Amino acid sequence: MATQHSRAAARLMISPAVVVLLLWMIVPLALTLYFSTLRYNLLMPGANPFVGLENYRYFFTDPAFTTALVNTLLLVGGVLVITVGGGIALALLLDQEMFGQGIVRLLVIAPFFVMPTVSALVWKNMFMDPVNGLFGYIARAFGAQPFEWLTAAPLFSIILIVSWQWLPFATLILLTAIQSLSSEQLEAAEMDGAGFGSKFLWIILPHLARAITVVILIQTIFLLSIFAEILVTTGGGPGVASTNLTYLVYIQSLLQFDVGLGSAGGVVAIVLANIVAIFLMRMIGKNLDA
Amino acid sequence: MARAVTTRRKAVNTAIAWTIGLLIFFPILWTFLTSFKTEAEAISSPPAFLFFDWTLENYGAVQERSNYFRHFMNSVVISIGSTVIGLIIAVPAAWAMAFVPGRQTRNVLMWMLSTKMLPPVGVLVPIYLIFRDFGLLDTRTGLVIVLTLINLPIIVWMLYTYFREIPGEILEAARMDGASLRNEIIHVLTPMAVPGIASTLLLNVILAWNEAFWTLNLTAANAAPLTAFIASYSSPEGLFYAKLSAASTMAIAPILIIGWFSQKQLVRGLTFGAVK
Amino acid sequence: MGRIVLNGVRKAFGEVEVIPPLDLTIEDGEFVVFVGPSGCGKSTLLRLIAGLEDVTGGEISIDGRDATELPPAKRGLAMVFQSYALYPHMSVRKNIAFPMRMAGLPEGEQKRRIEAAAKALNLTDYLDRRPGQLSGGQRQRVAIGRAIVREPSAFLFDEPLSNLDAALRVGMRMEIGELHKSLATTMVYVTHDQVEAMTMADKIVVLRAGRIEQVGTPLELYRTPHNLFVAGFIGSPTMNLIGGAEAERHGARTIGVRPEHIASGSPDGAPWVGTVGLSEHLGSDTFLYVHGTGLAETVTVRADGEVPLRHGDRVGLTPNPDRIHRFDAEGSRL
Repeated sequence: MATQHSRAAARLMISPAVVVLLLWMIVPLALTLYFSTLRYNLLMPGANPFVGLENYRYFFTDPAFTTALVNTLLLVGGVLVITVGGGIALALLLDQEMFGQGIVRLLVIAPFFVMPTVSALVWKNMFMDPVNGLFGYIARAFGAQPFEWLTAAPLFSIILIVSWQWLPFATLILLTAIQSLSSEQLEAAEMDGAGFGSKFLWIILPHLARAITVVILIQTIFLLSIFAEILVTTGGGPGVASTNLTYLVYIQSLLQFDVGLGSAGGVVAIVLANIVAIFLMRMIGKNLDA
Repeated sequence: MARAVTTRRKAVNTAIAWTIGLLIFFPILWTFLTSFKTEAEAISSPPAFLFFDWTLENYGAVQERSNYFRHFMNSVVISIGSTVIGLIIAVPAAWAMAFVPGRQTRNVLMWMLSTKMLPPVGVLVPIYLIFRDFGLLDTRTGLVIVLTLINLPIIVWMLYTYFREIPGEILEAARMDGASLRNEIIHVLTPMAVPGIASTLLLNVILAWNEAFWTLNLTAANAAPLTAFIASYSSPEGLFYAKLSAASTMAIAPILIIGWFSQKQLVRGLTFGAVK
Repeated sequence: MGRIVLNGVRKAFGEVEVIPPLDLTIEDGEFVVFVGPSGCGKSTLLRLIAGLEDVTGGEISIDGRDATELPPAKRGLAMVFQSYALYPHMSVRKNIAFPMRMAGLPEGEQKRRIEAAAKALNLTDYLDRRPGQLSGGQRQRVAIGRAIVREPSAFLFDEPLSNLDAALRVGMRMEIGELHKSLATTMVYVTHDQVEAMTMADKIVVLRAGRIEQVGTPLELYRTPHNLFVAGFIGSPTMNLIGGAEAERHGARTIGVRPEHIASGSPDGAPWVGTVGLSEHLGSDTFLYVHGTGLAETVTVRADGEVPLRHGDRVGLTPNPDRIHRFDAEGSRL
């Protein structure tokens, strides 16, 4: 029913969104690429000569890069394992009949709404602090030496904090998916003699496959860019023990004012994110046709 | 999957679920309780759970120490401002794509989504320099612009999935009933679209309120919203747990309540409609 | 009042021609049913009349006025949709009032018409409810109410009963039929269900692939189907179609005999003999599915309700010679 006229109107309605997003994408992207080929440090005014791929060479040969890359992958992987595993378990639990189901659900999803800086600081000070934190108190109560979470296991501590923030997301989406499973299917499986184990393995898990994929992909996008939690807890340290790629680029560009090097790091981060993005886009694209 | 289960089974489920739920919620509860303690009680050993002298002094102290209200208002202005501007740009776009889909609609939507995949750190340097040169660093305007842009794809997508659910036959019925395009929009489409627009608004206020990359990197004392302001409590000086808790409670309470109300829409918004 | 004339009307979506040029006249006050298998273009044809689709070629005139270029609302037609298309955020009253509000009718007149419609459709108690709180049948009546109050020159129905269960469908079929008697307004009704077509129509238009296969009263279609398609489509159970030597004996490529025009009896001396495969006892009638006649895979026969035949019985079949339909190689009636 679309006439020529309404097509033209539609184009006009879409264009503002397209134009601003195009600018937002193209201009900084082009500048990042351009800066990454310059020797450009804000602390050293003067000419910014073209140096080709030198910044990339510096960035890749910097020992901190390897650490940051490994940390990034550990952070993403660790949080994914905890949140997806815990999310499936919690979703199964919340799907059972119980009293006050709605309230439990509210309790479980609450951490998702806590801003990253607040959750990081609360965990750092009130739980993980060896002197005044609750974990330290519990350790002492059992006669153990309090664990120095953020200095002895900085990356692991950050993984825990971030997992606490993202567990609700995984739970909520997997619960929604579980609830869309028809009870007739489960009853049919029961008639066929399936116990809980086989029902989970053969009916529930395949049904959740798509939701799990969505959770993994979307969380990965966000987890690759974890920043605030590192900034307020460990500052990337000790040394670079808890520095991820995002944080490394931040140090180089805004703390060391090395625009060229920071830009090169930015380009690397973009490439990494794009690898994930391609998979995500395919998933969601399929849903468009459904 | 509602199935009849025994009361005993139900009681066991209830006990397990409540225990885990409370454990997950505990850090928030603990923050809330600590905000009513004195600094000494906040770090007392053994920890005081409920039996302490409840006080509101921390809430006053937080305001006196660093004008908390100003940062709170920064958060309000930035999150609501960016969401409203985002909606103004996105509603017509989503509308057109849902009701007058063309051959390129799908590609445009996918492309918009792809901009969301751009890691912020990849464009940190140029944005920082552009903001410096245009005097946008540490201004509310600057943050509104950035947050509008980073959330625009989500807004368009959410609206698009909602609008697409409005059945075409209803619009045809309105046309048969003699409604002009204007009447169609006022009497039929808008009332049906309002719930979707409202959920989109809520979700994006939440996302913008909690955004903690650009707010930390582009603001200082002046335009810092609560995300950035709270980060200033990370310097390990003195006894400040109770004040940190008071500041945190005020920062998360409004959004927690909004979040609880819009939990259903959350799933759909955050998965771009891939899970409903 | 409601005379609709289609003259060379054609519709193509891009390259695909869904309706080749087509002529049809719907007389004022007639109840016309478009029937055909899914994808035959019947709904498209209705939407062309409604103005919801633009014609690719040809003219549509309503009440002698050229309506080809008129927008839907200006054609003086009302439509009842398959999904009912009620406005979910408006009460029943507001739903029914909507077309009148759009037309700017005075409040008093609106009220009078709403009440009359509600009374006629048994909706008086539900006027302040939302569509979501109504059953399928009630929603259907609201959709009809919204159409009635416009006092259109013709009603268009797009498979209005397909979302209702079987019992409700029979009831609504009668209600719509009575509505037509009392309003005496032209109704154009689209369905894929030949029973609906047979029971409701003054005139049936059988469509296939956008072409009109036959136009006629239900009985004309039943008695003298113009071709094999109509013969097979109209009537339930469907007509037996028999080819080969038996057909040639009648000087045709294919012959057709309806189940009710075959007598069953003793195998001795009967022209056709076979074995009963399945017998369905409906009480008033028995349907016999007879195998092994050498004529067709199965020959369906309608027999008396209390006929004592069982699975495996031998049976003799005698077709009524006056009721044998003959078709040529192209499937046209001879």
